[in-house]
This record gives sequence, C-alpha cells and structure tokens, in this order.
Amino acid sequence: MRRAIDVRDLRYAYPDGTVALHDVTLQVEPGECVGLLGPNGSGKSTLIRHLNGILPERLTEVGGGVAVMGETITRDNIGQIRRQLGLMFQDADDQLFCATVREDVAFGPQQLGLTPGEVADRVQRALEEVGLVELGHRPPHHLSTGEKRRACLAGVLACEPSILVLDEPTSGLDPRGRRELIALLRQVRATKLIATHDLELVVELCPRSVVLDAGRVVADGPTHQILDDEALMLAHGLERPHILQHRHPH
Amino acid sequence: MTELIPTVYPVDRPVYRWPAGLKLAGALVMIVGTALAPFAWRAWFVGVAAVLVLLVVAGRLPFRSLLLRLLALSPFVAGVALSAALNPRGSADWRVLALRSGLCLATVLVLAQTTPFSAMLAMLRRVGIPALLVTTLALMHRYLFVLGDESERMRRARASRTFSGDRRLVWWTAATVVGQLFVRAFERAERVYDAMCARGWR
Repeated sequence: MRRAIDVRDLRYAYPDGTVALHDVTLQVEPGECVGLLGPNGSGKSTLIRHLNGILPERLTEVGGGVAVMGETITRDNIGQIRRQLGLMFQDADDQLFCATVREDVAFGPQQLGLTPGEVADRVQRALEEVGLVELGHRPPHHLSTGEKRRACLAGVLACEPSILVLDEPTSGLDPRGRRELIALLRQVRATKLIATHDLELVVELCPRSVVLDAGRVVADGPTHQILDDEALMLAHGLERPHILQHRHPH
Repeated sequence: MTELIPTVYPVDRPVYRWPAGLKLAGALVMIVGTALAPFAWRAWFVGVAAVLVLLVVAGRLPFRSLLLRLLALSPFVAGVALSAALNPRGSADWRVLALRSGLCLATVLVLAQTTPFSAMLAMLRRVGIPALLVTTLALMHRYLFVLGDESERMRRARASRTFSGDRRLVWWTAATVVGQLFVRAFERAERVYDAMCARGWR
C-alpha cells in the first residue's frame, strides 16, 4: 500500500547554515492520525514545510527525500501534491488573506479550476462543517482567534485533501475554542499529522506520536507509551500530561 | 490608525444596500465631472456637495471619522493648491483647484464608507481590471489592518516600558519600531505567499 507520507533521511539547513533537520525519517500510513511533538525550535514547522514542497527553496526535478501518496515531490508534480496534502498554518492571519471568509474558503477550490457552481458548493459545505456559514461575509479581521482558526480549516477542507497537516492548531485558543476545534478535527476523515505542544489534544486524537528534538526524531510509537515516559518527555522539553497522571494514579 | 481605514459595517440604510457597480459608476461620474467641469458651472459643484451631504446625513455615516480621514488626506489637496498658487504663470486659481480635489476626495471617502472593499474589488474584476492588480489591492487592504494592529501592539509595549521623556531616546525607539514593522511585514509577506502556494496558487 502507498504510504500517505514517506520522509526518508531528510536533511535541511537554513541559508545561514543552521541545520534544522538531521536525517529525519517519518512514515505515516493512510488513515492514521499522528501527533508531532517537540519543543520550540525542534524543527516541526520546518519538517511540515517540506511535506508540500514549500521547502527546500530550490526543489529539483529529482526531488528531496519526501514522498506523498507514493509520489516523490519534485518541481513537476508539486501542484498535484498540494491538492492531496492540505496544510494549515500556525498564524491564521497568514492564511486568511482574502477580503471575506467566504472568498478565502473559495480560494483553494478556485485554484483547482472548478466551475463557479462547484466552488460555491464546496465553500458552503466547508463553512457548514466548521459552523461558520453565518460569518461568511465577514472580513477575517473581525473574527475571534477561534473563528479565524476554523475559517483556516474550512479553507483547507474546501480543497478536499486526503492528508491534513496542522501546525499548532490550538495555540492561542481559549478552552471553548480549543474544544470546538478538537471536536471538528475528530470528525474530519483524512490522514492527519498534527504538530503541537497541546499534549492533551494528542492524547485525545492521535493514537501514535513522534517526538522531534533539535531536528532529530527521538521517539516514535503509541501515544500513551511515549507520553507516559516521564524521563523522555522531560529530556526533550515536554512533560507528562496531566490527563495521563489521573488515569494511572500512583 | 485603523480609524483612518474605512470599514463598512452592515447598517440597515438603503445607501449601503445599493449595488456596488451603481455606486462605483456614480462616484466615477461625480469625480470626472468635478475634475473637468468649467468653474462657471457653479450648479455642478453645489450639486455634488449637496449629494455628498445628503448621503452622509441620510446614511447616518460616521461624520467624525469621515472628517478625520479628509484631514489626514488634506496634504494632497494642499499640495495641489500650493503648486497652483506658487506657479507664476498659473492658469488655474488655487482655490478652485482645492475645491475640485476636495470634492473628489470626499466622494471617494463616502464611497469607501458605504461600499465593502470586497464588493468594489469584485466590480473591478468584472470590468476587466488585470487580476494581478486587483489581487495586490485586496492583499494590501487585508494586511493594512494586521499591520495596524501589530504597530499598535508594538507602540503599547514600548510605551509601557518607556520611563524617561528623553526626546532623543523617543525618536530613536520610534525609528526602531518603524524598522521592526518593516521587517515583520516582509516576513509576513513571505508566510502569506507560502500559505497561498499551499492552496494551489502559482
């Protein structure tokens, strides 16, 4: 079976020479939901940017060490890859660049070359899915942080990707916004890779977790096993989540 | 700062509901007419001014913000008038020029106050303005607010840690803030472009 995401020995250094990724290897099977954990600056965002070819800056015909749905990313198939792998960015203001929410959600489908009718259908469905139909006419500037995040998700879902990659989806959200987003993500039927510090979200959504630190994969396995390993978590700038401590009282 | 950028809230007055195309065409006629009409056609100028006043009153437009914007943009009017006044072979009376440009500016401000920017962009797209230009305008409008907020946050952060009234220091920090804002805007532009690419933009 083709792997949804297949990263092999990926190495990346920023133009100033800082090495961000050291031979990272990561496989995600179709239908999986994987948590990507790691402290600030561990390379999570850099890795995510490789998954749809935003990095490396100079993509060659040969391609790097990243394959999506069995296809190695190259300069020629980048459009095809981006149709299949939707990326949600950390800062909602980076992603919501259109004048209204509805226009923003329509952006992806329009790029896919759909007819105006199909675009409208997809926009309506995506807005319904995230519960923002009422706010479709609003400029993104007038949304709350939680609404902005849901609008971003609608924009990605409207492209109907088979893989969803999210960068810190719950950062900056209040408890209600966070709950709403987690409930939404649970409903989305796609392969998911979620980079986050929100360990309780990982416990709820991701059966498997990968820990990245200083650009290296330092752990990969069942979420409960990894998060329960206090020594591992502390060694890599994380902590054993509260929710697990309650499940296994000492 | 953001008060200077018109934001259209859906208000239940007819002037907000008129089709954007109609308003855009009306404004264009008023502006071109005001720029070209001979000054002897007093009725035209009085008429344009009356229409504007009527729209402001009937539409219950925020008079204060409109005036503030007019003042903020008045250097352009003053510049035009000054260049006419200082031109020794000046064929145009500077007062007439100030009146013409002032009225045009007020027309644009009333249009911007009553028509959502997105509706205006859609109209521009429909009449065949190049897509790249419309997209650039749309992005500029969208990120003016984000940058406005960002500069406001930086201003507040600076104010809360400014303890001395040393004029030189104030200027120095103000310059730093402007520089920082430029760098942040540049970095954001790159991230926005990445986000556009991620959803299929070429």
